[in-house]
Amino acid sequence: MEIIELGKNEPQACSEAQLAQIRDEEFRKIRMAFLNILEDTEDARQGAVKEKNKTLTIVDNLTDGVLVLDENNRIELTNPLVDIFLKQKQENLLGKNIFKIKSKKSELSSLVALLKSGKKNKIKNIFRKELLLGDKLYLEVTTVPLEENNNNRGTLIILHDVSRDKFIETIKTEFVSIAAHQLRTPLSAIKWTLKMMLDGDIGKITAEQKDLLEKTYQSNERMIALINDLLNVTRIEEGRFLYKPEPMQMEDIVDTVINNSEEILRMKKTKLKFNKPKELLPEVLVDKEKMSMVVQNLLENAIKYTNLEAEIDISLEKTDKDVLFKIKDSGVGIPKEQQERIFTKFFRGSNVIKMETDGSGLGLYTTKNIVESHSGKIWFDSEEGKGTTFYFTVPFI
Amino acid sequence: MKILLIEDDKLLRELLSKKISKCGYEIECACDGEEGLKMLQQNIPDLLLLDIIMPRKSGFEVMVEMKKYDNLKNVPIIIVSNSGQPVEIDRARQMGVKDWIVKTEFDLDEVIDKIKKIEEEKIVK
Repeated sequence: MEIIELGKNEPQACSEAQLAQIRDEEFRKIRMAFLNILEDTEDARQGAVKEKNKTLTIVDNLTDGVLVLDENNRIELTNPLVDIFLKQKQENLLGKNIFKIKSKKSELSSLVALLKSGKKNKIKNIFRKELLLGDKLYLEVTTVPLEENNNNRGTLIILHDVSRDKFIETIKTEFVSIAAHQLRTPLSAIKWTLKMMLDGDIGKITAEQKDLLEKTYQSNERMIALINDLLNVTRIEEGRFLYKPEPMQMEDIVDTVINNSEEILRMKKTKLKFNKPKELLPEVLVDKEKMSMVVQNLLENAIKYTNLEAEIDISLEKTDKDVLFKIKDSGVGIPKEQQERIFTKFFRGSNVIKMETDGSGLGLYTTKNIVESHSGKIWFDSEEGKGTTFYFTVPFI
Repeated sequence: MKILLIEDDKLLRELLSKKISKCGYEIECACDGEEGLKMLQQNIPDLLLLDIIMPRKSGFEVMVEMKKYDNLKNVPIIIVSNSGQPVEIDRARQMGVKDWIVKTEFDLDEVIDKIKKIEEEKIVK
């Protein structure tokens, strides 16, 4: 073992100087490390600022309006398009609770009303709806909940300008409307001429002529029905379809439609069963003509797409808040891969096109729109080759 | 019974007037609202068959004008139109129109039935 005798080899003065040197060296190292840390921090800070500015520049230059709310609905961030869309200055929005801002501008209050309705309905986590601001500005408003490790961090609101799409849609709708109206005049002329010939008003006709004229008359009637379907669609799209809803019994509507369908039921020898409710159902608020159209469309489809002597069951029942209509057929069914398109405009199932070429593909689109404009829902169960059950609800008054 | 038909489409005018005169009614025709108003004042009919969408003066404009004259304001009117929107039908009913026929939805004999109904009402009165 080596024993070092302190102070023997190293004189005290030298030791102090050495110690001071060591201390200085340590201080120098610490200072350097500290400066390095400071430098790194500054670099990181500058990097963060640069990244933040880059992100803000991107947000500012987005072609959509963007608002970010914190978890207490205070506005944390907006971009310049929000100022333009809502006619508000950014400084009047930032830091304020969006639901509590008092503004004379209708644009902001319209948006707030829409957001409130979204919160109330809780349709889905992501909420998307259209909003008309002023006369021409159509925005598609999307709200996305911002979550961080399952914690609510606030809400992202995106305002997407869809005015151009709306404009094109309006022109298209107007075009169809005018074209359909123009088509109605010659179709009326054809209808009346054929009827006069069939009635012998213009002279006697042979049995063969009569047969052909009758077929032509029926073709013309189909064309008229198609034009009417197209006109209904344009009215739906223009938002002027429903007219003066009144309190009614759904049972009365179903009864009338069944009575009006007696001829086609007899022709196809369909056995129709209407299971009426045991007690009187609550009244519903409906546009009678349009609701009859819904029942008629569903019944006609059930008759058309089943074989001869098929069975159709209709029932009406009461649920918590609605009257539930059900129509079950034993028909051709809807192919599984096409089921999600069934309510789309102009869509017809591949199996029904083969059996019946006549049909506009507008019936179920119109039906769905009518049900939904009565605040109801429509859905179905179907298996190809076995049959389909359609359901729809209409809320009580 | 004297009937005046105001309709801008030539063929529809021809078909309607042919059917109506075949059924024994006296019929005169005008090709738009303006001509129709002139004819109304010259010879007051027992019934007016009126189209809505027409050049120069629409059916609604004709009805508004007719209200200004004592001798015309009570002439029974049946609208024969291509359009059949509930809002228009309601407006016409408020103006005292007897009936509304959507051309594509009715056959000529149904139009005659409606004319007969007005004729019966007139006889009862």
